[in-house]
Amino acid sequence: MNISHLILELVLMPIVAFVVGLFMVLMMRKIGARLQRRIGPPLLQPLYDIIKLYSKRTQISHGMIHEMGIIMAVGGYVAAETLLPVPGMSGLADKGGVVTLAYVLMIPSLGLALGVGQCANPNGSIGISRALTAMLAYDIPFILVVFGAAYVYGTTNLAEMIAIQQQQGVSSWGIMQMPLLALAGIMTLPAIMGKQPFEIYVAPAEIATGPMVEMGGKFMGGLFVMQCFQFYTAGVLYTTLFLGGGVYWITFLPKIFLVVAIPMSIAYMFPRYRTEDVLRLMWKWPVLVGIVGLAVAML
Amino acid sequence: MSELKKIPLRQEIASTQGPAKRSNPLANVFDDLVSFCRARSMFMLHYCTGCGAIELPPAMTSRFDMERLGIQPMVTPRQADILLITGYVSIKTLKRIILTYEQMAAPKYVIGICSCTVNGGMYWQSYATAKVLKDYLPVDIYIAGCMPRPEAVIEGLQDLMDDIKSGQGNSWKRYFENYDHYLGNQQKLFGEDWQTPTDIIAEARHYDLLTENTLGEHTALLEQHQRPLEALEMRLKVKEGS
Repeated sequence: MNISHLILELVLMPIVAFVVGLFMVLMMRKIGARLQRRIGPPLLQPLYDIIKLYSKRTQISHGMIHEMGIIMAVGGYVAAETLLPVPGMSGLADKGGVVTLAYVLMIPSLGLALGVGQCANPNGSIGISRALTAMLAYDIPFILVVFGAAYVYGTTNLAEMIAIQQQQGVSSWGIMQMPLLALAGIMTLPAIMGKQPFEIYVAPAEIATGPMVEMGGKFMGGLFVMQCFQFYTAGVLYTTLFLGGGVYWITFLPKIFLVVAIPMSIAYMFPRYRTEDVLRLMWKWPVLVGIVGLAVAML
Repeated sequence: MSELKKIPLRQEIASTQGPAKRSNPLANVFDDLVSFCRARSMFMLHYCTGCGAIELPPAMTSRFDMERLGIQPMVTPRQADILLITGYVSIKTLKRIILTYEQMAAPKYVIGICSCTVNGGMYWQSYATAKVLKDYLPVDIYIAGCMPRPEAVIEGLQDLMDDIKSGQGNSWKRYFENYDHYLGNQQKLFGEDWQTPTDIIAEARHYDLLTENTLGEHTALLEQHQRPLEALEMRLKVKEGS
């Protein structure tokens, strides 16, 4: 692969991720609306929101770290997109692998924590401490699932995982080979995406959206962009590990949208768990299922 | 009836005639795009006063569904675009409204719902009620009624959308341009030593909206009484002897 081709892919992959992520946000809002018997927002609503937020005249910054925090939050996901192979583009996937990806996926939360810290708003501090505790809760099953899958495939290279699953059709997909790990993954997914019942760190009515409390204008816009990337990353990673990845966009897109639709559909039917309950739940059930799944795979 | 028709529906003010077109055609396209997106995505602050607030849940939920117009509730002034004043404004509430309004990010819009915000409504004789909202804040749209039904609320919001789309919804600029007038009315109610944490005059300078009406006798009075803002002391207070 020559260098210009690589640079083109590195530019294209986050853009594709952003566009697909916009539609995932739209899907989330549409699912919520349909479950509440509403019509829901129009097709380009997520885009309108982002353009509007970036075009606000007042941009209240609380200092350098506040701005850097948002850049880290978005930049962490932009870096993660280049490590996720999609049909036709593999970017840095065969050089990074899941180990790098697992590291990079922690950067956004930490960046957000830095940025919120400088806002010095008590609600923000409560929110971000809850968010980091939630990260501690879901990272254990997440790492277990990702490295369990890597053990079964015998490689940490995501592109090779896709190649292995594509060789023998559906029966060689991760979800058929290691169903318990896939189950643990789908149980962890709502927490990774920050959806109900694991969204106590946002809690709009109690702590005024927690980490987002001081974010207005382009800062809020940055977080909206981050949400697009977040949904896309969760969908693509799960599809790559368990649903055979993608060779053609026409089969790949329905898979990632389906994966993202599952947590969104259950989200609107649940209230929230408290932070300590999130920790207890995450460390008990997905971890238990994941360990059993790993043991079965090792036998 | 013929008398009624003479009352103008919209108060035309010179500074709200919409922005002058820029000479660069591409910049014009950009401006149009931005004002279109501003109109199609309005976050309203979840802060409601008085009884009109009861009409908003049906307007937001399945019966009338504001989200199809891109309007959704947000919880902090930093994130919000619209401030809905949904009912009578007591003097105590007005202080909070002004604090909230000044923290919102421009461009920001104020909507007065119910007759109480127009002229005091049934609280006309009350000593503790601020009667005419537009004396204290620039109001974009009034939705009269006691209380207006959700259809009327949505109709009013659509009028605001049309205003923003055509570049007319600029009432937030009026607050900076005529700050002395608004501050004077506020001082009449709250006393001479009224001050808010937001430095409106510096903001007016920042947006290049400082006119001869921004500064005046009332802002001079403000400067006399203004105390610099101090950060809250971070300290855990332990009772002695415990």
